Parts: sequence; structure tokens; C-alpha cells
Amino acid sequence: MNATAQLDYLASLLKCWPIKQTEAQAWLNQLRMQAFDCVGTQKLPTRRDEEWRFTDISSLAPLTYQPSRPECNLQARDLERWYLKEAKHRLVFVDGHYVGHLSTVADPLQLTIGNLPDFVSSHAAILEFQLGRHAAFDRNIFTALNTAFLRDGAVICIPKNTVIAEPIHVLFVATQNEVTSYPRCLLLGEAGSQVTLIEDYVALSQSAYITNSVTEIGLAANAHAKHIRIQRDSPQAFHLASCAVSQAHASHYQSVSISLGSQISRYNLDVKLADEAAECDIDGLTLIADRQLADTHTCIDHAKPNGTSRQQHKCIVDGSAHAVFNGKIVVHPHAQRTNSSQSSRNLLLSKTAQVDTKPQLEIFADDVKCAHGATVGQLDREEIFYLESRGLSEVVARNLLTYAFAAEILSRIPIVSLKRQLEQTVLSRTRSNPS
Amino acid sequence: MSAVLQSLVNQPYKHGFVTDIESDVAPKGLNEDIIRLISAKKDEPEWLLSFRLKAYRHWLTMTEPQWQNVHYPKIDFQDISYYSAPKPKKKLASMDEVDPELLRTFEKLGVPMHERAALAGVAVDVIFDSVSVTTTYKQKLAEVGIIFCSISEAVHNHPELIQKYLGSVVPVGDNYFAALNSAVFTDGSFCFIPKGVKCPMDLSTYFRINTEGSGQFERTLIIAEEGASVSYLEGCTAPRFDTNQLHAAVVELIALDDADIKYSTVQNWYAGDENGVGGIFNFVTKRGLAKGKNSRISWTQVETGSAITWKYPSCILRGDNSVGEFYSVAVTNNYQQADTGTKMIHLGKNTRSTIVSKGISAGHSNSSYRGLVRIAPTAEGARNYSQCDSMLIGDQCGAHTFPYIQVNNNSATVEHEASTSKIGEDQLFYFAQRGIGSEEAVSMIINGFCKDVFQQLPMEFAVEATKLLSFKLEGSVG
Repeated sequence: MNATAQLDYLASLLKCWPIKQTEAQAWLNQLRMQAFDCVGTQKLPTRRDEEWRFTDISSLAPLTYQPSRPECNLQARDLERWYLKEAKHRLVFVDGHYVGHLSTVADPLQLTIGNLPDFVSSHAAILEFQLGRHAAFDRNIFTALNTAFLRDGAVICIPKNTVIAEPIHVLFVATQNEVTSYPRCLLLGEAGSQVTLIEDYVALSQSAYITNSVTEIGLAANAHAKHIRIQRDSPQAFHLASCAVSQAHASHYQSVSISLGSQISRYNLDVKLADEAAECDIDGLTLIADRQLADTHTCIDHAKPNGTSRQQHKCIVDGSAHAVFNGKIVVHPHAQRTNSSQSSRNLLLSKTAQVDTKPQLEIFADDVKCAHGATVGQLDREEIFYLESRGLSEVVARNLLTYAFAAEILSRIPIVSLKRQLEQTVLSRTRSNPS
Repeated sequence: MSAVLQSLVNQPYKHGFVTDIESDVAPKGLNEDIIRLISAKKDEPEWLLSFRLKAYRHWLTMTEPQWQNVHYPKIDFQDISYYSAPKPKKKLASMDEVDPELLRTFEKLGVPMHERAALAGVAVDVIFDSVSVTTTYKQKLAEVGIIFCSISEAVHNHPELIQKYLGSVVPVGDNYFAALNSAVFTDGSFCFIPKGVKCPMDLSTYFRINTEGSGQFERTLIIAEEGASVSYLEGCTAPRFDTNQLHAAVVELIALDDADIKYSTVQNWYAGDENGVGGIFNFVTKRGLAKGKNSRISWTQVETGSAITWKYPSCILRGDNSVGEFYSVAVTNNYQQADTGTKMIHLGKNTRSTIVSKGISAGHSNSSYRGLVRIAPTAEGARNYSQCDSMLIGDQCGAHTFPYIQVNNNSATVEHEASTSKIGEDQLFYFAQRGIGSEEAVSMIINGFCKDVFQQLPMEFAVEATKLLSFKLEGSVG
């Protein structure tokens, strides 16, 4: 990548940065300012950066996509197909901008669920302390860009010992062509609270755009959070996302992330088990075909003793697609009795499909149980034969086995209607693939 | 020789001690003149000089790598003397003059009596007629047509082989340290097994006697022709004290159709003291090319010494049905650091590779496994199995795993497994119940942990390596 190409993408974005932010809150202006300065000190990553070794985003560099415009002519019926009947709370963002008339919060006076600007003054103390503090932007240019352009965003604060039974659906819809949008989420679970968040990225058209999203999750002692993340952007899109989770004592974080769309997608998930006895369960499924590239980087950071983490990541790769998985587990000195397991399983359906996987362990404590495993392969001939011997055609047998491979991850989604929806997606994808 | 060179060569050696053959030590620093000097000293042909210069020019354009998980103070490449003819060492008259620490080590390792003397630098011909033994070996090898000599001898006697194969597996510009080695290497071993010959003995046996005096920038080249097979052992279980801090060796293996090369390493160089002061930096490039069909390359290594070990013995599996193997035990104690592993590059059809890596860290040390398994689009039906286990002793050390798996062919099957464990109180208690002390118990557990790798070593070295390990970890538990 040459220097002028870099200039194009970053320069065109930075030109649009509203220098005179007229926010009432000085801290918010300052946060944006810091992030903006951070963008200035960084460059777009290239394949020479270890973190981006397998993901070539040089095609992004020459794009001069402007930040998206806050305009929305959508009606509820345009989006109904993505609504989930279980979700009583729904926040809709179109191209990163909050759309009030499409969003519903069951109990707006009691619950802090809504758009960031609505809480900036009323919840200043807590937001100042939390926003932008989990997702560090000094080493990630995309997080820095998102923070510099921070305006709208989903804010969800669950008070102490409160259980929100119904899932909260945050729907990010892409409509505009050739724009960059900056979705943002902040989920704070106070001590003993429980919540389920569905972060859903969808596209109304086949347009080309860049989604640069950041999600921050802070869990206090004994808080439980389930986080379902579905990325079904348009096949022309670029999806660059990161999610940072901080866990306090005995908190529990469960994540299921499904990656289906985008031409190039990158998801960084950083979970920090910052206090003792925290637990996390992380599952991921990447299902891609054609010339798609999907990259998942996770980092589970065991900073304190008695933490538990379990991770499973599966990739199903068809066509000339390329899946990348990098799973890092760090066990700090003195984080004794950490129990951690990680598995990366990859299924290659075509001759030209490609997988790069790197399960990585960094262990600095001795009384730990850590294991990881990785496999790459194709469908087992004997399994196919078994099904054929029971009268299934080869195509059906293959599709069934592929579906079963994915189903293990999908079964971890606790919302029935969403699970059905995704099962259908997986089935239709495998069906369209005569072997 | 130019006047400048002449004056450089004749400059008195100004760093403390005097050597009577001063022209045999090149002045410190690295430049084209020095390389020309090395080449001239060794009376090398023109093509080898241009090989060196090409490497040097490439090296100048490179920067020292930063990605590795080891930390060391910056090396001043201009502060190294790149040529010194092997100095005649002062021979000791009898075993009584040998450092008792060294004798204690021999005792622990169970090195045979007659070899101890040779290793300790006692004038061997007093006790042990090495010359005649060497000659016997040489005759035996020559009978079957095996060429086994130093690389500088080979340059003169078999230039066609050297010219054909040198740098063919590790090109001059391969990496920073390989480029440096290609520019300044002084000596090393050359081994050529002709078509259809099975080497009648482990070359280890021979090598062990000749172990002293290998240089700082060693170059090894082993070629096995069609159907040939050889087992080669480098290094020695006995501790080696060496004044050169940086060691950047290059090893190249070439296996043609149906050939089989087994390369074993036991490395026990000076690791620095218990506070991490001193010790050798061992930055080695080792690579084997399984060029022919059904060829096999197997690396076995036991790494216990050096302050920093940084190497990845690799296999390029180009021939169809070729096999690559890597068995490794890396032990680090005190402030040692090891970043080691392998690369298995599958290019040919039905190529298979096995990786078994065992890392043991104790004290304040860090050990990393870094491996690459790459299945190229052409590698139909390739198969890989990797297992890397780490054991931690104490809570100040670290164990790391960086396995890269890159698969470009869907008919390949790749498996990777890793685990981390420690020697538990309950295990030690179990041994104690049966009257086995903690020191011995640890040694038994470690040997069980490393069994898969030790089985691959030539018999006598397996026995010594077992002892070496418990010796290295002495005092780190209990």
C-alpha cells in the first residue's frame, strides 16, 4: 500500500470530522479529541502488521467513503422481517444514527435503555467513567475512528440486582451507499444484574459501505450478560468491529457471534477477566462463500485467579472464501487455578477455500489448566457414506453434515425465533451448494 | 591483497591477551573487506566469494526481526570478530587439571570415561587415540562412498556439490541471521550420502569426538541422494563453555527420492548464571527440503542450554508422499528464553507431518512454541498432527504457544492440540508415599512427559538426555 492511498481513506474521513463539537459535556468532547489525535498517530494496518497478517484491507485504502448522513425514510414494515417477537426492547440505528420512531423500550422511565445523547447529561457521572474506557483506541485505528466520530450509540445500563428477562435487540441497518457508519454500543451490568443483548447488523440493499463498530461491555460483580452478535452485512460491505468486555468478580459473560456477510469482515473480541472467579463462554460461527474474507481475533485475558473460560470457534468456508481465526488466551502471573479451553474447528467445503487459524496461549502462572485444539478438514467420507447407506443422496448427506457442524454453535443462542431464523439461513446457504 | 587489507590484517590485536599468530584473527567489524579477507584466508573460489558478498549486500538491506518472544540487548555486529583460525588450545596433561565442576557434570550425565577426557580438552592422544579412531571411521565411510568432511574441505574437493546445493534450501536473503551467516560462515560440516547407500553408523558417534572447535557461524549441509539414509547428531550433552555470545548457524538438509535424513540435536551451551547474566544467544536457521518422492526428514532436538534459543527446524515437503517430523524438548530455567518450533510446508501430494513439542519452564524463564503448518493448494491429501505440551514449574515462569495453521486445500486434515500442566502437589505426594523423594519424583515425571521425544534420539543420547534434564532442573522444585 502506498502512502498516498492511505491518505485517501483517512484524509477523506478526517476532513469530515466536526472540529467544533458543541456538546454540553466537556469530557465527551475531550474523549473525541483524544481519539482524533490517536487516529493521527496511526496508519491503516497492512499485512506486515502481525495482527493483520492474513487480512488484506488494502482495497479499503483508496475508498473515499464519507461518514453517513443522518437521514432515514424507513417505516416499520421495511424492517419487520428482522424483528424478534421475544424482544420487548428494540433500538434501531440506521447507518449508525438513532431512529426514535422505529425503536421501542417497554419501560422507558424505569430503564436506562436508549440513545447516547439522551443520557449524556442525566448519566454523565457513569458515562464519563465508562464510555471509551473499555475499548482502548490508542492501538486500534478503527476503534479510534469510531470514538472520534462518536455521536449516537446504544446505551444500556442495568441497575443492581435487576433481571431483564426479555432480550434487548439493537438493530443496525445499513441503507446508504458508499458511506462509513460508526455504530456504537455500551452495556453496563451493575452488581447482580442479568441481561441479554442482541447486536444485529443487517443491510437493506446490496450496497457497498463500511461499518466500523465498537461495543463496550462492563460487568460488575455477579452480573450476567448474554451477548448475541449477528453480522449479516451486504456482500459488498466492509465490516470492521471490536468489542471489549471487562468482567468483575464472579461475573459471567456469554457470547455467540455469527458472521455471515461482508466482503471483508474483521471482529476483535477482547474479554478481560479483571477480577477473581469470573467466567466467560465464547462461541463463534463463520459461514462464508464466494470471495468473502472473515477474520475473527479474540483475546481472553485472565488477570486474576480462579477464572474460567471456554471458547469454541467454527468456520465453514466455501467457494474461494478465506476465514481467519486468531484466539489468544493470556494467563497473567498469579492468575492461579485458571481453567481455560479453546477449540477452533474449520470445515473446508471447496478446493479453493482457505483457512488460517492460530490458537495462541500465553501462560505466566503454573497452577493452571489450559488446553487448546484446532482442526481443519473436510466432511468425513465415512459419515457421508453412512448417510448414503441409509438412502440419502450425497448432496443431502453433505448438507446435513454441514448443517450439523453449524448447529452446535447455533444451539447456544437462547432466543428461539432468532435461532430458527439463523438455522434457515444456514440451511439455505448449504442447499445452494451442490457438491 | 590491498594495502588497506594488509594493514588491517597486520594490526596488533589490542584487546587484552596476545596471540602469537595475530594475522589469524580478523579485526572486529563487518564490511566487504572482511568478507574478502575470510574468503582469501580460506582460499575460496570466486563463486563462493560472490555468494558471500551477495548475502552481505542483502543483509545490509534487512533489519533485525522484532516479532520473536525473546528479549536481549541489541547486538553490535561491528563488535564481533568474524574470522579467527582455530587456535591451538592449551592441552591439559591429565584429568586432575580439569575443572571439578565439569567433572561433576560428567559424573551426573554418565558420560563414558574415555570420552570425558576428550570433552574436557585433555590431550586425548594420551588416553585415547582419537586419530586412529577417526581414521577407522573415515575409511569405513569412504568404502561406501560417503563424503563426510568440513565444509571448507568440501569446497576444495567437491566444489560441484557445494555449488549446486549451498543456499538452495536457505537462500542467502532468507532471514537476517541466515544472511549474516551466509556472508561470514567460517566452517561447518558437509555430508553427502550417495545413491542407495545406508550410512553404516550414526554420524553422531564420529561427530562427538570432533565436537570441539566448531565456530560461531557454522554451516552444515547434508545431502542424501536417491534411497540413501543417514542419522546425524549435532552437539553434545556435555556443557559447553564458549566465549562467543552470538551463534548464528545455518543447517540445510536435502533429501532426494526415497531418502531419509534424521537430524538430532542436543544443545547444552552455557545458559548464563542464575541471575541471567551471560549465556549464549543461539539464533539458528535449520531447514530440510524433502525434494524427492517418499523422502523423509526428521528433526529431533533437546534444547537445554543457551541464554536464548531461537530456532525453527523446518521441513519443506515438496516430493509427493514425503514425510516431515519434528520432535522437540525445550527446557528453560533461571532467566533462559526459548522461542522454538517448526514449520511444515506441505507442497506435494499426500505429504504427512508430525509435530511433538514439549516445553518445560522453571525459575524465571520463558519458553514459546511457535509453529507453522501450511498446506499449499497443491498438497492433495496432506495430513498433519501437532501436539505441543507445556509444563510449568514455579509461578514465575511462562509458557506460550503460537501455532499458525494455514490451509489452502480442502482434502487436507490438520489437527493441533496443546495443553499446559504443572507438577502437582498430589503427584509428588503419591511418589513420597512410595518412598521416592521429590527430586527423583520430578525427574521421573519430566521423563514421562518427554518420553515421546526421547524415543526418537539415538540410544546412548536418550539415556544421557534423560539425565541431563533432571540435572538442569535440579533445585527448581521443593
